[in-house]
Amino acid sequence: MARPSHPQAMTPHRPAPTRTAPPTVPDDFYTKPRMLTYLLFDATGIVYLLVGFVALRVARALDSGPEAWADLMSDFAQPLYVGFHLLALVSVLFVGVRFFRLFPKAQPARLGPAKPPPRPVLHAMLYVVWIVVTIALLVVLGGVWP
Amino acid sequence: MKTLLLRLEPVIWLLFGAGIMVGTILLPGYLLTVALGGPLGLLPEGARSYERALAIASNPLGRLVLLALIALPLWKGAHHVRALAADFFGPGADVVVGSLLYAIAAVGSVAAILAVAAI
Repeated sequence: MARPSHPQAMTPHRPAPTRTAPPTVPDDFYTKPRMLTYLLFDATGIVYLLVGFVALRVARALDSGPEAWADLMSDFAQPLYVGFHLLALVSVLFVGVRFFRLFPKAQPARLGPAKPPPRPVLHAMLYVVWIVVTIALLVVLGGVWP
Repeated sequence: MKTLLLRLEPVIWLLFGAGIMVGTILLPGYLLTVALGGPLGLLPEGARSYERALAIASNPLGRLVLLALIALPLWKGAHHVRALAADFFGPGADVVVGSLLYAIAAVGSVAAILAVAAI
């Protein structure tokens, strides 16, 4: 197997005479809907980070025993946690809708011998998976089955 | 450090991609039940019992789902917060901010593996 190339192997020894200015957020970004949506999409990262660590607390409570679990459920009923989890739900739905719309456009035209399905089909498949997995989790975690 | 970040970029993008895809697919079900439905009393009594939650989470598939629910959103979060910081503060602090955020995601992922294995 070939040795991986150095990641900066193609970097010129001297910077080119004309430099591209680094992209910056305009001061009035909050008046530009497309910019705002893009920044909000990135800002959901803060919510995802926090959700990950809160879910870690769920796993630790399960390991610690019934009292820790009861304490966790009691904490989750507090307005701060309820508000955060509602915000998380809105963020996840926003990310899902935006990302699933983007995903088919980002696919290569051909994957080896196979062609990916048409964009609308791929888009619909993502929604089917999303809905089926969500229903499955609602059924299992919601106490319907088993 | 910049070189290390560039070398790790394929791994980071893999975890970020899994985080945004798998995390987003799994999170609504978890948020509607464990995070909101159970604590607010919207689920039947037995559904939020410790014994039932433990039985689901200690199942091999349950462990895998729980691990994905914890670790993958951390990588999506770290990568997007890095992009947000670069947008607002410029590329100057990108290496420090990126390294710090990926370190947080890595520590959280290791903690998730340990926590899920201990259940």
